[in-house]
Amino acid sequence: MAYVAVKGGQEAIGESLRRLEYERLRKGRIIETRAIESSLQGLIDQVMSEASLYDEALAALAVKQAQGNPEEVVFLLRAFRSTLPRKYYSRTIESHEMALSRRISASFKDIPGGQILGASPDYSHRLIDFDLIKEESDPFIPKRWLKAYLKEIESNEVHEAPLKYPKVVDYLRREGLMATYETDETEPEDVTKEALKFPSKRSQRLQILTRGQTGAVTALGYASLRGYGSVHPTVGELRVGELPVTIDPPFEEAGGEEEAYYIGDIRVTEVESIIPKAVKTPSGAYEEELELGYGICFGHNETKAIAMSILDRCLEEPAEAPTHDEEFVLYHIDSVESTGFISHLKLPHYVTFQSKLDSVRKTRKGGKKQ
Amino acid sequence: MKRKQRTEILIHCPTKVLRELSEAVESHHAIKILEEPNSGLVMVKMRETAMKTKFFLGEVLVTECKVLLGETLGLGILRGSHKKRAYYLAVIDAAFNADIDEIEGLRERIREESGRIQILQGRERQQILKTKVDFETLDEEVKA
Repeated sequence: MAYVAVKGGQEAIGESLRRLEYERLRKGRIIETRAIESSLQGLIDQVMSEASLYDEALAALAVKQAQGNPEEVVFLLRAFRSTLPRKYYSRTIESHEMALSRRISASFKDIPGGQILGASPDYSHRLIDFDLIKEESDPFIPKRWLKAYLKEIESNEVHEAPLKYPKVVDYLRREGLMATYETDETEPEDVTKEALKFPSKRSQRLQILTRGQTGAVTALGYASLRGYGSVHPTVGELRVGELPVTIDPPFEEAGGEEEAYYIGDIRVTEVESIIPKAVKTPSGAYEEELELGYGICFGHNETKAIAMSILDRCLEEPAEAPTHDEEFVLYHIDSVESTGFISHLKLPHYVTFQSKLDSVRKTRKGGKKQ
Repeated sequence: MKRKQRTEILIHCPTKVLRELSEAVESHHAIKILEEPNSGLVMVKMRETAMKTKFFLGEVLVTECKVLLGETLGLGILRGSHKKRAYYLAVIDAAFNADIDEIEGLRERIREESGRIQILQGRERQQILKTKVDFETLDEEVKA
């Protein structure tokens, strides 16, 4: 197979790009990036996670440029990211540092600190709200609502303690029902620096899963539940909240956590799924133990985080099913890789296709002779 | 007040407060910009809770600025694209690193802001806690 360079089409390409701009503008309304950032949080969160780049304003601009097409947005953000220097690595964030805004458990009704629903569409009727059209002609409708809500917050008592609670699974660990692991200080591998090789390291798997395309991660997690895998979890805990990001001082000896620079919070969704596993005891008998599947992603994206926790556990457990095959999972869930490869099929394949045609014609001729 | 606590309070402050603090330093000390505010990335390292290993969660866009106060370096770095804020943070950091004579005034102002921020955050937490589920009613219904 060979690729042959061809010339021509520059004018057509120029006109095509003008046509794209026309498509963006022809309906006469332009959305402000600030409006995208404040109104389309779900999309912003999804593309930040898939691009593996956290910045709402930049994501909003990319959404505008890509006219809301998520795969194009992720491509733009990844491309932009490649132009920037990586200045620092953060200090290791421990997930118990998360300041919670939502936290639920499907495993236990009563959990320390309680089930906090936060903001979620889970409890809505999922009926289209036609009243939202009204607020477009009367901007005072949302302003009045917001003003009243903020006034309510202002009148609240001050809850001084941060919303940080012990993990639900700590209870199971204390009871000895859950596998326990020593803290591992091994520095992680980075899939953006070094190509993935198999067998993969756990840090590589988690990095690829967390930046995976939401639909792909969800589909494979679902496939595992449907029988193309052997992991069926119960959500031990799902948390949405803010994680503090800090770096060590670059120009002096690291003085520990207290002398670090805080650079801001990032919102994440974290899931700990509980999965039963048969373990062989020294006597040769089998007993059940509980393992955790871990899922986390930038922004508020619960389906992806749950699906990631399923796939995390699948990839830790060798099995015949496709969702336990690390090459199958890890090579196919990246947005830029998968959409890029599929898209390349649109590129001219004139020569290779001619060769295929020749081959078909020869076969046909051969057929007639027979 | 250690650096982590100080920078956390400062990053939650409005820009006008950062400018006020930065100008308070600049009115007594010459500031030389070593590195103009510029964009870059910080890779976030995280520990997962299933097997307690570390992995990279992804990168965060940051703005960074470096200044000199005398011979003391100051670093301003924060998430997002905020050139002015990065500069103000760098000046304030340099002031603390150099332990300038006016430091107590700055510290006092930051404490004031800290109190204000804590009240806002505390009220917001209280609002979030209104979404906490009370299962008692459900239990009674089951008994009935």
